[in-house]
Amino acid sequence: MWRSLGEGRVKGNPCDGRLLGERFGGVEPTLGTDMIEVVRVSKYFGKHRAVDDVSLTVRPGVVTGLLGPNGAGKTTLIRMMTSYLAPSLGTIRVFGHDALEEPSAARACIGSLNESAPLYPEMRVGQYLKYRAGLYGVSRSARAAAIEAALRRCALSDVASKRIGQLSKGYRQRVGLAAATLHDPRVLILDEPSSGLDPSQIRDLRSTIRTLASPSATRPEGRAVLLSSHYLPEVQATCDEIVIMARGRVRAQGTPGDITRSFGRAAPYEVVIETPPGLNEADEAALMQRLRAVLMVNGAAGVTIEPRALGQTRVRCSITPRVVAESDGTSSSVASGAVGLSADGERDLGEAIFKAVSGAGLSLSRLSRREATLEQVFISVVEGSNEHAAAVSQGSAEVAA
Amino acid sequence: MRAMVIAGRELRSFFQMPLGWLLVALCLLGSGFAFTSATLEPGAPATMRAFFSLWWFILALIAPAISMRLMSEEYRAGTIEPLMGAPVGELSVALGKFLGACGFLACCLLPTLVYPAALMVISKPDPGPIFAGYLGVMLAGMLYLAVGLVFSCLTASQTLAFLSTFFLLVGFEIALEAATRRWPDALGALSKHLSANARIADFASGLVDTSHIAYFVIVSAWLVVLSALILRVRRWR
Repeated sequence: MWRSLGEGRVKGNPCDGRLLGERFGGVEPTLGTDMIEVVRVSKYFGKHRAVDDVSLTVRPGVVTGLLGPNGAGKTTLIRMMTSYLAPSLGTIRVFGHDALEEPSAARACIGSLNESAPLYPEMRVGQYLKYRAGLYGVSRSARAAAIEAALRRCALSDVASKRIGQLSKGYRQRVGLAAATLHDPRVLILDEPSSGLDPSQIRDLRSTIRTLASPSATRPEGRAVLLSSHYLPEVQATCDEIVIMARGRVRAQGTPGDITRSFGRAAPYEVVIETPPGLNEADEAALMQRLRAVLMVNGAAGVTIEPRALGQTRVRCSITPRVVAESDGTSSSVASGAVGLSADGERDLGEAIFKAVSGAGLSLSRLSRREATLEQVFISVVEGSNEHAAAVSQGSAEVAA
Repeated sequence: MRAMVIAGRELRSFFQMPLGWLLVALCLLGSGFAFTSATLEPGAPATMRAFFSLWWFILALIAPAISMRLMSEEYRAGTIEPLMGAPVGELSVALGKFLGACGFLACCLLPTLVYPAALMVISKPDPGPIFAGYLGVMLAGMLYLAVGLVFSCLTASQTLAFLSTFFLLVGFEIALEAATRRWPDALGALSKHLSANARIADFASGLVDTSHIAYFVIVSAWLVVLSALILRVRRWR
């Protein structure tokens, strides 16, 4: 217990493969292609479950975006990855090191930029980087070069002798990033890195993040970068893979294309129906009511009918396929228990729409479907999780009653 | 040793803030008052016993002011996250903070050497008890800082950390004193054993007792370990 309170035998960077065997009892960590493996991790704060059975992986050379609304559990998950918090359940491995069993070795592989870059305002930039280099065990001989490289990488050379408290928010963010990359980590975890930056600084930051993930002379496989944000355009512009979290759970995971394709099946159908000339309002309302009922039975979640303009024979409808909470998690890009499409929703609704329209004695003038954007997917996932949670809580209340 | 990296940063940070200089000035002022009122008396022997006898109260004021920000400030500013996210164990963090604070206390004591120097100019005091007295003050200060570190680990409020430490230290000494007066036979020995003030008095008389040194060092060490455990428990909260 006492020894575990200290840093153990970690000296230098335990992520350097050649040192691993001698430093960790001769046991090489099991290295897969994943830099971070999160396996069924949950975190409770009292009775509140902030992170709920989350599994995900972060691979080298890939920028993974952790996307979710405020309170989704992103920061708590990141704090567990950096061993700042211990998970209540599950396992986190960083470069093969268990974050609980070998916290110091796991932490040595990570460079993290915490939300709003907390720094010591009284310290000078160069002084702070020297301190961080010491904490991460960068050898004295390599320290000056590492600090110089970090200052150059983050365009901080001009302010190296300034006090951190005198710097603007953007510069402080850069100091945080410089400190995170100082020890040449294999894994970079960035929590809301662009918060408070202006557009030009955001553009520079994105470019720096892409460069850090790319293969380099020292890291031929590239670095694994996990970027947490609730700002969708940032994730879309920077990340190769996306993990969407809501209410403590992973709701979707994959490349932006995979996710939009998967959720694209929930995109609404745009339908234009030709009504018979001279149809009165009451007959039209009855026809549309019948059409709506047929479609709802055949897999539609909602049918919106726009009022017909005076003298027009065309009626525009928007038909949304049914989206329900999955329980089996059979889809590869949609996590278990996440909001996805039911069997009804996965079926192409086009045929059902055609049959319903012709069955109602109407003719179909146009049937089209727009591809879902990531924003629509995000909103659908977040709102879906809220509705699901409300239904569960209502169900629990009813059971209790 | 990463604790030394933390200690170095902690020590430097005191001198980069007005609070650090204010504490040095306060320490000099308090000890100056003790020197002029207790030592510089016409016809009194050239010793600093009385001077050191007032030090427990100066320490009870200065040590919590030094220790209050050790961890509380990290919690408040959020810098605890990058600190605990670095490959540094809780014991290294607690030890580094403690050593940094001890270093600063030593820096606070350094200018007060002007008083024994002044005494040496006007008289011929025995330097042994003066050296021993300073050793006692430093050791008692270490103990007080370790108590302050524990409270600082428990709260993000520096004010709360200061007040808790101050009232515990002062209350403990006063309670011991009162209990000894009430039951001198039963509690006299125990009081002498537990009171930092009584031990400083022994040092000030020139008695460098290893049991005193061991008491201060061991209790301080356990308190540092307790602080490390508090930091560990915070990970599991």
